[in-house]
Amino acid sequence: MKWTKKIKLAALSSTAVFTTACSLPGLGAGLTEDVNIRIATQSSTEMAILGYVIQGMVNHYSEVNAEVIQNLGSSTMVAQALIQGDAEVAAASYTGTALTGELGMDPITDAEEARRVVTEGFEEQFGIKYFPSYGFENTYSFLITTDLAEEHGIESISDLEPIAADLTAGVDTSWMEREGDGYRAFLETYNFEFDTVYPMQVGLVYDAVRSGNMDVVLGYSTDGRIASYDLVLLEDDLSFFPPYDASPSVLFDTLEEFPELEDILLKLEGTIDTGLMQEMNFIADEYLIEPATVAQQFLEANNFFEDAEPYLEPVGGE
Amino acid sequence: MFDLEGFEELTQMNMLQQLIYYTQQNSAYLWEQFTRHFLISIYGVLFAAVVAIPIGFYIARHSRLADWVVGAANVIQTIPSLAMLSILMLGFGIGHNTVIITVFLYSLLPIVKNTYAGVKNVDHALLDAGKGMGMTRWQMTYKIEMPMALSVIMAGLRNALVVAIGVTAIGTFIGAGGLGDVIQRGVNASNGGAIILAGAIPTALMAVISDLVLGWLERRLNPASRVSR
Repeated sequence: MKWTKKIKLAALSSTAVFTTACSLPGLGAGLTEDVNIRIATQSSTEMAILGYVIQGMVNHYSEVNAEVIQNLGSSTMVAQALIQGDAEVAAASYTGTALTGELGMDPITDAEEARRVVTEGFEEQFGIKYFPSYGFENTYSFLITTDLAEEHGIESISDLEPIAADLTAGVDTSWMEREGDGYRAFLETYNFEFDTVYPMQVGLVYDAVRSGNMDVVLGYSTDGRIASYDLVLLEDDLSFFPPYDASPSVLFDTLEEFPELEDILLKLEGTIDTGLMQEMNFIADEYLIEPATVAQQFLEANNFFEDAEPYLEPVGGE
Repeated sequence: MFDLEGFEELTQMNMLQQLIYYTQQNSAYLWEQFTRHFLISIYGVLFAAVVAIPIGFYIARHSRLADWVVGAANVIQTIPSLAMLSILMLGFGIGHNTVIITVFLYSLLPIVKNTYAGVKNVDHALLDAGKGMGMTRWQMTYKIEMPMALSVIMAGLRNALVVAIGVTAIGTFIGAGGLGDVIQRGVNASNGGAIILAGAIPTALMAVISDLVLGWLERRLNPASRVSR
Protein backbone atom coordinates (compact mmCIF):
# COMPACT_ATOMS: atom_id res chain seq x y z
CA MET A 1 0.00 0.00 0.00
CA LYS A 2 2.76 2.32 1.01
CA TRP A 3 4.52 1.60 -2.24
CA THR A 4 1.66 2.29 -4.55
CA LYS A 5 1.44 5.69 -2.95
CA LYS A 6 5.11 6.30 -3.47
CA ILE A 7 4.89 5.22 -7.08
CA LYS A 8 1.91 7.43 -7.67
CA LEU A 9 3.80 10.30 -6.15
CA ALA A 10 6.83 9.53 -8.29
CA ALA A 11 4.70 9.29 -11.41
CA LEU A 12 2.93 12.51 -10.57
CA SER A 13 6.08 14.44 -9.84
CA SER A 14 7.82 13.11 -12.93
CA THR A 15 4.92 14.11 -15.15
CA ALA A 16 5.09 17.53 -13.54
CA VAL A 17 8.78 17.70 -14.35
CA PHE A 18 8.24 16.52 -17.90
CA THR A 19 5.46 18.92 -18.68
CA THR A 20 7.49 21.84 -17.42
CA ALA A 21 10.51 20.48 -19.21
CA CYS A 22 8.69 20.86 -22.50
CA SER A 23 9.22 24.59 -22.28
CA LEU A 24 12.71 23.91 -20.92
CA PRO A 25 12.76 26.58 -18.25
CA GLY A 26 16.02 28.15 -17.32
CA LEU A 27 17.70 27.85 -20.66
CA GLY A 28 16.68 31.24 -21.92
CA ALA A 29 17.21 32.07 -25.55
CA GLY A 30 16.43 29.89 -28.47
CA LEU A 31 12.95 29.01 -27.41
CA THR A 32 11.74 32.12 -25.68
CA GLU A 33 10.39 34.79 -27.92
CA ASP A 34 12.00 37.76 -26.27
CA VAL A 35 15.46 37.35 -27.77
CA ASN A 36 15.35 38.90 -31.21
CA ILE A 37 18.99 39.14 -32.11
CA ARG A 38 21.62 36.51 -31.48
CA ILE A 39 25.22 37.55 -31.90
CA ALA A 40 27.53 34.71 -32.90
CA THR A 41 31.15 34.89 -31.82
CA GLN A 42 34.13 32.68 -32.43
CA SER A 43 36.20 31.17 -29.71
CA SER A 44 38.56 34.00 -28.76
CA THR A 45 38.70 36.75 -26.19
CA GLU A 46 38.64 39.41 -28.90
CA MET A 47 35.50 38.03 -30.50
CA ALA A 48 33.74 37.76 -27.16
CA ILE A 49 34.52 41.40 -26.36
CA LEU A 50 33.22 42.54 -29.74
CA GLY A 51 30.09 40.44 -29.29
CA TYR A 52 29.34 42.14 -25.99
CA VAL A 53 30.12 45.55 -27.49
CA ILE A 54 27.39 44.96 -30.06
CA GLN A 55 25.04 43.63 -27.41
CA GLY A 56 25.63 46.73 -25.27
CA MET A 57 25.02 49.03 -28.22
CA VAL A 58 21.82 47.23 -29.20
CA ASN A 59 20.52 47.41 -25.65
CA HIS A 60 21.34 51.09 -25.49
CA TYR A 61 19.66 52.11 -28.72
CA SER A 62 16.73 49.77 -29.15
CA GLU A 63 14.08 47.75 -27.39
CA VAL A 64 15.32 44.67 -29.16
CA ASN A 65 16.86 41.99 -26.96
CA ALA A 66 20.26 40.71 -27.94
CA GLU A 67 22.15 37.66 -26.78
CA VAL A 68 25.73 36.58 -27.36
CA ILE A 69 26.50 33.03 -28.50
CA GLN A 70 30.05 32.23 -27.52
CA ASN A 71 32.81 29.90 -28.61
CA LEU A 72 31.80 28.79 -32.08
CA GLY A 73 34.63 26.78 -33.56
CA SER A 74 35.46 28.62 -36.77
CA SER A 75 34.51 31.51 -38.97
CA THR A 76 32.79 29.09 -41.33
CA MET A 77 30.65 27.89 -38.46
CA VAL A 78 29.65 31.45 -37.61
CA ALA A 79 28.64 32.07 -41.22
CA GLN A 80 26.71 28.79 -41.24
CA ALA A 81 24.90 29.78 -38.06
CA LEU A 82 23.72 32.96 -39.78
CA ILE A 83 22.70 31.22 -42.98
CA GLN A 84 20.81 28.49 -41.10
CA GLY A 85 18.99 31.02 -38.98
CA ASP A 86 20.58 30.13 -35.64
CA ALA A 87 22.02 33.63 -35.28
CA GLU A 88 21.51 37.01 -36.88
CA VAL A 89 24.75 38.90 -36.31
CA ALA A 90 28.39 37.82 -36.60
CA ALA A 91 30.41 39.87 -34.14
CA ALA A 92 33.47 39.98 -36.34
CA SER A 93 34.84 38.55 -39.54
CA TYR A 94 38.38 39.17 -40.69
CA THR A 95 38.47 40.12 -44.34
CA GLY A 96 41.34 37.76 -45.21
CA THR A 97 39.69 34.83 -43.47
CA ALA A 98 36.31 35.59 -45.01
CA LEU A 99 37.88 35.66 -48.44
CA THR A 100 39.75 32.37 -48.26
CA GLY A 101 37.48 30.63 -45.77
CA GLU A 102 33.79 31.33 -46.26
CA LEU A 103 34.07 32.44 -49.89
CA GLY A 104 36.81 29.96 -50.80
CA MET A 105 38.70 32.45 -52.99
CA ASP A 106 42.41 33.17 -53.39
CA PRO A 107 43.96 35.70 -51.02
CA ILE A 108 44.01 39.33 -52.16
CA THR A 109 46.69 41.51 -50.61
CA ASP A 110 45.14 44.86 -51.52
CA ALA A 111 42.97 45.82 -48.54
CA GLU A 112 40.30 47.77 -50.41
CA GLU A 113 40.01 45.26 -53.20
CA ALA A 114 39.70 42.43 -50.68
CA ARG A 115 36.99 44.27 -48.76
CA ARG A 116 35.06 44.98 -51.95
CA VAL A 117 35.19 41.34 -53.06
CA VAL A 118 34.12 40.11 -49.62
CA THR A 119 31.26 42.60 -49.34
CA GLU A 120 29.92 41.57 -52.74
CA GLY A 121 30.50 37.88 -52.17
CA PHE A 122 28.72 37.91 -48.79
CA GLU A 123 25.74 39.72 -50.25
CA GLU A 124 25.38 37.54 -53.33
CA GLN A 125 26.20 34.16 -51.84
CA PHE A 126 24.84 34.40 -48.31
CA GLY A 127 22.53 37.42 -48.11
CA ILE A 128 24.76 38.89 -45.41
CA LYS A 129 25.74 42.54 -45.16
CA TYR A 130 29.43 43.02 -44.47
CA PHE A 131 29.84 46.21 -42.47
CA PRO A 132 32.74 48.69 -42.49
CA SER A 133 35.67 47.79 -40.26
CA TYR A 134 35.88 48.39 -36.53
CA GLY A 135 39.21 50.00 -37.32
CA PHE A 136 41.69 47.32 -36.31
CA GLU A 137 43.43 44.46 -38.00
CA ASN A 138 44.27 41.12 -36.48
CA THR A 139 46.95 39.93 -38.82
CA TYR A 140 50.36 38.31 -38.62
CA SER A 141 52.90 40.97 -37.70
CA PHE A 142 56.59 41.04 -37.09
CA LEU A 143 57.36 42.31 -33.61
CA ILE A 144 60.60 43.59 -32.08
CA THR A 145 61.50 45.25 -28.81
CA THR A 146 61.50 49.03 -28.59
CA ASP A 147 65.24 48.94 -27.81
CA LEU A 148 66.11 47.19 -31.04
CA ALA A 149 63.77 49.43 -33.01
CA GLU A 150 65.37 52.60 -31.66
CA GLU A 151 68.92 51.35 -31.96
CA HIS A 152 68.61 50.64 -35.68
CA GLY A 153 65.73 52.95 -36.55
CA ILE A 154 63.50 50.11 -37.67
CA GLU A 155 59.89 50.84 -38.55
CA SER A 156 59.02 48.44 -41.33
CA ILE A 157 59.89 44.88 -42.27
CA SER A 158 62.23 46.08 -45.04
CA ASP A 159 64.28 47.98 -42.47
CA LEU A 160 65.28 44.61 -41.00
CA GLU A 161 67.18 43.59 -44.11
CA PRO A 162 70.64 45.06 -43.26
CA ILE A 163 70.76 43.33 -39.86
CA ALA A 164 68.67 40.25 -40.66
CA ALA A 165 71.70 37.98 -40.92
CA ASP A 166 72.36 38.52 -37.20
CA LEU A 167 68.79 38.02 -36.02
CA THR A 168 67.03 34.97 -34.67
CA ALA A 169 63.34 34.82 -35.42
CA GLY A 170 60.52 32.95 -33.68
CA VAL A 171 57.44 32.27 -35.78
CA ASP A 172 54.15 30.43 -35.55
CA THR A 173 54.62 26.76 -36.44
CA SER A 174 51.79 26.73 -38.95
CA TRP A 175 53.16 29.81 -40.73
CA MET A 176 56.31 27.95 -41.73
CA GLU A 177 54.35 25.56 -43.89
CA ARG A 178 51.66 27.87 -45.20
CA GLU A 179 51.22 28.43 -48.88
CA GLY A 180 50.59 31.94 -50.20
CA ASP A 181 51.51 33.96 -47.13
CA GLY A 182 53.89 31.56 -45.40
CA TYR A 183 57.65 31.61 -44.93
CA ARG A 184 58.63 30.59 -48.44
CA ALA A 185 56.46 33.29 -49.96
CA PHE A 186 57.92 35.73 -47.45
CA LEU A 187 61.45 34.96 -48.67
CA GLU A 188 60.40 35.66 -52.23
CA THR A 189 58.66 38.94 -51.45
CA TYR A 190 61.13 40.47 -49.01
CA ASN A 191 64.17 38.72 -50.38
CA PHE A 192 66.17 38.41 -47.16
CA GLU A 193 66.70 35.67 -44.63
CA PHE A 194 67.08 35.62 -40.87
CA ASP A 195 70.04 33.88 -39.23
CA THR A 196 67.85 31.20 -37.69
CA VAL A 197 64.10 30.74 -37.71
CA TYR A 198 62.51 28.84 -34.84
CA PRO A 199 58.97 27.55 -35.32
CA MET A 200 57.10 27.80 -32.03
CA GLN A 201 53.65 27.95 -30.57
CA VAL A 202 52.24 31.37 -31.31
CA GLY A 203 51.32 32.05 -27.68
CA LEU A 204 54.98 31.88 -26.68
CA VAL A 205 56.48 34.32 -29.16
CA TYR A 206 55.64 37.46 -27.17
CA ASP A 207 57.53 36.31 -24.11
CA ALA A 208 60.35 35.02 -26.28
CA VAL A 209 61.03 38.43 -27.83
CA ARG A 210 60.53 40.28 -24.58
CA SER A 211 63.03 38.10 -22.76
CA GLY A 212 65.56 38.50 -25.56
CA ASN A 213 65.61 34.83 -26.54
CA MET A 214 64.42 35.94 -29.96
CA ASP A 215 65.25 39.17 -31.74
CA VAL A 216 62.19 39.26 -33.94
CA VAL A 217 58.99 37.25 -33.79
CA LEU A 218 55.85 36.79 -35.81
CA GLY A 219 52.70 37.18 -33.74
CA TYR A 220 49.11 38.35 -33.95
CA SER A 221 48.78 42.11 -34.10
CA THR A 222 45.99 42.50 -31.54
CA ASP A 223 47.50 40.33 -28.82
CA GLY A 224 47.35 42.18 -25.54
CA ARG A 225 50.94 41.41 -24.68
CA ILE A 226 52.20 43.66 -27.49
CA ALA A 227 51.04 46.74 -25.62
CA SER A 228 52.09 45.56 -22.19
CA TYR A 229 55.53 44.33 -23.24
CA ASP A 230 56.12 47.53 -25.17
CA LEU A 231 56.79 45.76 -28.47
CA VAL A 232 56.95 47.49 -31.83
CA LEU A 233 54.73 46.34 -34.68
CA LEU A 234 56.67 46.49 -37.93
CA GLU A 235 54.86 47.90 -40.91
CA ASP A 236 54.30 45.41 -43.71
CA ASP A 237 55.61 47.88 -46.32
CA LEU A 238 55.46 45.45 -49.26
CA SER A 239 51.86 44.43 -48.38
CA PHE A 240 52.87 40.83 -48.04
CA PHE A 241 50.23 39.72 -45.53
CA PRO A 242 46.63 39.74 -46.71
CA PRO A 243 44.46 42.26 -44.82
CA TYR A 244 42.68 40.92 -41.76
CA ASP A 245 40.67 43.95 -40.69
CA ALA A 246 37.64 43.07 -38.59
CA SER A 247 34.01 43.87 -39.41
CA PRO A 248 30.65 42.89 -38.07
CA SER A 249 28.18 41.31 -40.45
CA VAL A 250 24.41 40.88 -40.36
CA LEU A 251 21.74 39.07 -42.36
CA PHE A 252 19.93 41.42 -44.75
CA ASP A 253 16.64 39.94 -43.57
CA THR A 254 17.43 40.97 -40.01
CA LEU A 255 18.29 44.51 -41.11
CA GLU A 256 14.90 44.72 -42.76
CA GLU A 257 13.21 43.59 -39.58
CA PHE A 258 15.28 45.81 -37.29
CA PRO A 259 16.40 48.78 -39.38
CA GLU A 260 17.99 50.52 -36.37
CA LEU A 261 20.58 47.75 -36.25
CA GLU A 262 22.28 49.10 -39.34
CA ASP A 263 22.84 52.54 -37.80
CA ILE A 264 23.98 50.98 -34.54
CA LEU A 265 26.70 49.03 -36.29
CA LEU A 266 27.68 51.97 -38.48
CA LYS A 267 28.32 53.94 -35.32
CA LEU A 268 31.03 51.45 -34.40
CA GLU A 269 32.94 52.03 -37.64
CA GLY A 270 36.54 52.95 -36.92
CA THR A 271 36.04 53.16 -33.16
CA ILE A 272 38.52 50.47 -32.13
CA ASP A 273 42.09 50.80 -33.33
CA THR A 274 44.66 48.05 -33.06
CA GLY A 275 46.15 49.53 -29.87
CA LEU A 276 42.79 49.69 -28.15
CA MET A 277 41.97 46.12 -29.16
CA GLN A 278 45.34 45.05 -27.74
CA GLU A 279 44.52 46.82 -24.49
CA MET A 280 41.07 45.26 -24.21
CA ASN A 281 42.42 41.79 -24.98
CA PHE A 282 45.13 42.34 -22.42
CA ILE A 283 42.90 43.29 -19.52
CA ALA A 284 40.50 40.46 -20.31
CA ASP A 285 43.29 37.89 -20.52
CA GLU A 286 45.76 39.05 -17.90
CA TYR A 287 43.53 40.80 -15.38
CA LEU A 288 40.79 38.17 -15.65
CA ILE A 289 38.07 40.72 -16.30
CA GLU A 290 35.17 39.14 -18.18
CA PRO A 291 34.81 40.24 -21.82
CA ALA A 292 31.30 41.44 -21.04
CA THR A 293 32.65 43.82 -18.39
CA VAL A 294 35.43 45.07 -20.66
CA ALA A 295 32.89 45.79 -23.39
CA GLN A 296 30.61 47.61 -20.97
CA GLN A 297 33.42 49.80 -19.66
CA PHE A 298 34.51 50.60 -23.20
CA LEU A 299 31.00 51.67 -24.19
CA GLU A 300 30.42 53.71 -21.05
CA ALA A 301 33.75 55.50 -21.40
CA ASN A 302 32.70 56.51 -24.92
CA ASN A 303 29.14 57.32 -23.91
CA PHE A 304 27.92 54.63 -26.33
CA PHE A 305 29.11 56.80 -29.23
CA GLU A 306 26.01 58.94 -28.93
CA ASP A 307 27.66 61.80 -30.78
CA ALA A 308 28.91 59.64 -33.64
CA GLU A 309 27.26 59.54 -37.05
CA PRO A 310 24.62 58.32 -37.81
CA TYR A 311 22.64 59.92 -35.01
CA LEU A 312 20.33 57.64 -33.02
CA GLU A 313 18.01 58.27 -30.09
CA PRO A 314 19.01 56.10 -27.12
CA VAL A 315 16.29 54.15 -25.39
CA GLY A 316 15.75 55.72 -21.98
CA GLY A 317 16.22 54.20 -18.59
CA GLU A 318 19.21 51.93 -18.16
CA MET B 1 39.30 54.39 -20.29
CA PHE B 2 39.48 51.31 -18.10
CA ASP B 3 39.68 51.40 -14.36
CA LEU B 4 42.67 49.19 -13.70
CA GLU B 5 43.59 50.37 -10.25
CA GLY B 6 45.20 47.54 -8.29
CA PHE B 7 45.10 45.02 -11.10
CA GLU B 8 48.88 44.83 -11.44
CA GLU B 9 48.86 42.81 -8.22
CA LEU B 10 46.58 40.26 -9.82
CA THR B 11 49.25 39.14 -12.26
CA GLN B 12 51.60 38.57 -9.30
CA MET B 13 49.14 36.28 -7.51
CA ASN B 14 49.40 32.52 -7.67
CA MET B 15 46.75 30.52 -9.42
CA LEU B 16 44.77 29.71 -6.28
CA GLN B 17 44.49 33.37 -5.32
CA GLN B 18 43.49 34.25 -8.87
CA LEU B 19 40.89 31.51 -8.77
CA ILE B 20 39.39 32.90 -5.58
CA TYR B 21 39.46 36.41 -6.96
CA TYR B 22 37.86 35.39 -10.26
CA THR B 23 35.17 33.31 -8.58
CA GLN B 24 34.26 36.16 -6.25
CA GLN B 25 34.11 38.69 -9.08
CA ASN B 26 32.00 36.49 -11.33
CA SER B 27 29.95 34.46 -8.89
CA ALA B 28 26.62 35.39 -10.49
CA TYR B 29 27.88 34.56 -13.95
CA LEU B 30 29.39 31.27 -12.81
CA TRP B 31 26.19 30.31 -11.03
CA GLU B 32 24.16 31.09 -14.13
CA GLN B 33 26.40 28.90 -16.27
CA PHE B 34 26.34 26.20 -13.60
CA THR B 35 22.54 25.96 -13.55
CA ARG B 36 22.42 26.15 -17.31
CA HIS B 37 24.91 23.32 -17.55
CA PHE B 38 22.99 21.23 -15.05
CA LEU B 39 19.64 21.85 -16.73
CA ILE B 40 20.92 20.88 -20.17
CA SER B 41 22.27 17.61 -18.74
CA ILE B 42 19.16 16.89 -16.69
CA TYR B 43 16.74 17.58 -19.54
CA GLY B 44 18.62 15.24 -21.85
CA VAL B 45 18.63 12.46 -19.27
CA LEU B 46 14.97 12.95 -18.34
CA PHE B 47 13.80 12.82 -21.93
CA ALA B 48 15.91 9.71 -22.41
CA ALA B 49 14.36 8.17 -19.29
CA VAL B 50 10.84 8.80 -20.63
CA VAL B 51 11.72 6.95 -23.81
CA ALA B 52 14.21 4.38 -22.56
CA ILE B 53 12.46 3.00 -19.46
CA PRO B 54 9.36 1.84 -21.41
CA ILE B 55 11.67 0.43 -24.08
CA GLY B 56 13.56 -1.44 -21.37
CA PHE B 57 10.34 -2.94 -20.03
CA TYR B 58 9.23 -3.84 -23.51
CA ILE B 59 12.39 -5.64 -24.52
CA ALA B 60 12.47 -7.47 -21.18
CA ARG B 61 9.24 -9.14 -22.29
CA HIS B 62 10.24 -9.58 -25.90
CA SER B 63 13.70 -10.97 -25.50
CA ARG B 64 14.26 -11.43 -29.21
CA LEU B 65 14.23 -7.66 -29.63
CA ALA B 66 16.65 -7.09 -26.77
CA ASP B 67 19.82 -7.78 -28.69
CA TRP B 68 18.80 -5.46 -31.49
CA VAL B 69 17.80 -2.56 -29.30
CA VAL B 70 20.81 -2.78 -27.00
CA GLY B 71 23.02 -3.22 -30.06
CA ALA B 72 21.63 -0.07 -31.64
CA ALA B 73 22.11 1.90 -28.42
CA ASN B 74 25.63 0.52 -28.22
CA VAL B 75 26.43 1.85 -31.69
CA ILE B 76 25.25 5.32 -30.67
CA GLN B 77 27.50 5.13 -27.63
CA THR B 78 30.60 4.45 -29.71
CA ILE B 79 30.35 7.74 -31.61
CA PRO B 80 32.76 10.26 -30.04
CA SER B 81 30.85 13.12 -28.42
CA LEU B 82 32.47 15.87 -30.46
CA ALA B 83 31.62 14.01 -33.66
CA MET B 84 28.06 13.42 -32.48
CA LEU B 85 27.61 17.11 -31.68
CA SER B 86 28.97 18.11 -35.08
CA ILE B 87 26.76 15.63 -36.92
CA LEU B 88 23.64 16.73 -35.06
CA MET B 89 24.59 20.37 -35.58
CA LEU B 90 24.23 19.83 -39.32
CA GLY B 91 20.62 18.91 -38.82
CA PHE B 92 19.52 20.85 -35.77
CA GLY B 93 21.75 23.89 -35.93
CA ILE B 94 23.62 25.37 -33.00
CA GLY B 95 22.32 25.98 -29.51
CA HIS B 96 21.37 24.08 -26.39
CA ASN B 97 18.65 21.99 -28.04
CA THR B 98 21.23 20.13 -30.07
CA VAL B 99 23.21 19.40 -26.92
CA ILE B 100 20.07 18.12 -25.20
CA ILE B 101 19.47 15.78 -28.13
CA THR B 102 23.07 14.58 -27.91
CA VAL B 103 22.75 13.93 -24.18
CA PHE B 104 19.46 12.16 -24.89
CA LEU B 105 21.13 9.80 -27.34
CA TYR B 106 24.03 9.01 -25.01
CA SER B 107 21.66 8.37 -22.12
CA LEU B 108 19.60 5.77 -23.99
CA LEU B 109 22.05 2.90 -23.60
CA PRO B 110 22.65 2.95 -19.83
CA ILE B 111 18.96 3.44 -19.09
CA VAL B 112 17.66 0.84 -21.55
CA LYS B 113 20.28 -1.68 -20.49
CA ASN B 114 19.68 -1.22 -16.79
CA THR B 115 15.90 -1.28 -17.09
CA TYR B 116 16.18 -4.44 -19.13
CA ALA B 117 18.50 -6.07 -16.62
CA GLY B 118 16.44 -4.91 -13.65
CA VAL B 119 13.17 -6.22 -15.01
CA LYS B 120 14.74 -9.42 -16.27
CA ASN B 121 16.12 -10.21 -12.83
CA VAL B 122 12.86 -9.92 -10.95
CA ASP B 123 12.29 -13.21 -9.16
CA HIS B 124 9.83 -15.35 -11.11
CA ALA B 125 8.35 -16.62 -7.86
CA LEU B 126 7.13 -13.08 -7.13
CA LEU B 127 5.52 -12.79 -10.54
CA ASP B 128 3.86 -16.15 -10.10
CA ALA B 129 2.59 -15.11 -6.70
CA GLY B 130 1.18 -11.95 -8.21
CA LYS B 131 -0.49 -13.92 -10.94
CA GLY B 132 -1.91 -16.26 -8.32
CA MET B 133 -3.40 -13.28 -6.50
CA GLY B 134 -5.19 -12.34 -9.69
CA MET B 135 -3.09 -9.31 -10.64
CA THR B 136 -3.43 -7.92 -14.12
CA ARG B 137 -0.40 -7.36 -16.37
CA TRP B 138 -0.33 -3.70 -15.45
CA GLN B 139 -0.58 -4.39 -11.77
CA MET B 140 2.31 -6.81 -11.98
CA THR B 141 4.36 -4.20 -13.78
CA TYR B 142 3.57 -1.45 -11.31
CA LYS B 143 3.42 -3.41 -8.10
CA ILE B 144 6.12 -6.00 -8.64
CA GLU B 145 8.50 -5.33 -11.52
CA MET B 146 8.75 -1.58 -11.14
CA PRO B 147 9.62 -1.46 -7.43
CA MET B 148 11.92 -4.47 -7.68
CA ALA B 149 13.83 -3.01 -10.63
CA LEU B 150 13.84 0.59 -9.48
CA SER B 151 17.28 0.63 -7.90
CA VAL B 152 18.88 -0.89 -10.98
CA ILE B 153 17.09 1.61 -13.22
CA MET B 154 18.35 4.34 -10.92
CA ALA B 155 21.90 3.11 -11.41
CA GLY B 156 21.35 3.56 -15.15
CA LEU B 157 20.14 7.12 -14.69
CA ARG B 158 23.13 7.81 -12.50
CA ASN B 159 25.53 6.59 -15.18
CA ALA B 160 23.70 8.58 -17.80
CA LEU B 161 23.79 11.82 -15.82
CA VAL B 162 27.51 11.65 -15.13
CA VAL B 163 28.21 11.11 -18.82
CA ALA B 164 25.74 13.88 -19.68
CA ILE B 165 27.57 16.44 -17.57
CA GLY B 166 30.76 15.67 -19.46
CA VAL B 167 29.06 15.88 -22.85
CA THR B 168 27.42 19.20 -21.97
CA ALA B 169 30.84 20.71 -21.26
CA ILE B 170 31.73 20.16 -24.92
CA GLY B 171 28.44 21.78 -25.94
CA THR B 172 30.11 25.18 -25.70
CA PHE B 173 31.53 24.62 -29.18
CA ILE B 174 28.08 24.72 -30.66
CA GLY B 175 27.04 27.76 -28.67
CA ALA B 176 25.04 26.04 -25.95
CA GLY B 177 26.59 27.85 -22.99
CA GLY B 178 27.23 26.14 -19.68
CA LEU B 179 30.46 25.77 -17.77
CA GLY B 180 32.22 24.81 -20.99
CA ASP B 181 32.02 28.51 -21.86
CA VAL B 182 34.06 29.34 -18.79
CA ILE B 183 36.62 26.62 -19.47
CA GLN B 184 37.01 27.67 -23.09
CA ARG B 185 37.39 31.31 -22.12
CA GLY B 186 40.24 30.27 -19.82
CA VAL B 187 41.87 28.29 -22.60
CA ASN B 188 41.74 31.32 -24.89
CA ALA B 189 43.11 33.75 -22.33
CA SER B 190 46.88 34.01 -22.23
CA ASN B 191 46.83 33.93 -18.43
CA GLY B 192 43.69 31.88 -18.05
CA GLY B 193 44.74 29.00 -15.79
CA ALA B 194 42.56 30.26 -12.97
CA ILE B 195 39.57 30.66 -15.27
CA ILE B 196 39.97 27.11 -16.54
CA LEU B 197 39.84 25.91 -12.94
CA ALA B 198 36.84 28.13 -12.19
CA GLY B 199 35.00 26.23 -14.94
CA ALA B 200 36.45 22.77 -14.50
CA ILE B 201 36.14 22.42 -10.73
CA PRO B 202 32.37 23.11 -10.63
CA THR B 203 31.89 20.74 -13.58
CA ALA B 204 33.69 17.97 -11.75
CA LEU B 205 31.87 18.76 -8.51
CA MET B 206 28.54 18.65 -10.31
CA ALA B 207 29.32 15.17 -11.64
CA VAL B 208 30.59 13.88 -8.29
CA ILE B 209 27.68 15.28 -6.30
CA SER B 210 25.07 14.00 -8.80
CA ASP B 211 26.73 10.63 -8.60
CA LEU B 212 26.64 10.61 -4.80
CA VAL B 213 23.03 11.78 -4.57
CA LEU B 214 21.75 9.30 -7.12
CA GLY B 215 23.89 6.59 -5.53
CA TRP B 216 22.22 7.28 -2.21
CA LEU B 217 18.81 7.21 -3.88
CA GLU B 218 19.71 3.96 -5.55
CA ARG B 219 20.52 2.36 -2.20
CA ARG B 220 17.34 3.71 -0.69
CA LEU B 221 15.33 2.15 -3.49
CA ASN B 222 17.06 -1.20 -3.31
CA PRO B 223 14.46 -3.80 -2.24
CA ALA B 224 17.05 -5.56 -0.10
CA SER B 225 17.63 -2.50 2.06
CA ARG B 226 13.90 -1.87 2.26
CA VAL B 227 13.34 -5.22 3.90
CA SER B 228 15.89 -4.54 6.59
CA ARG B 229 14.21 -1.33 7.69
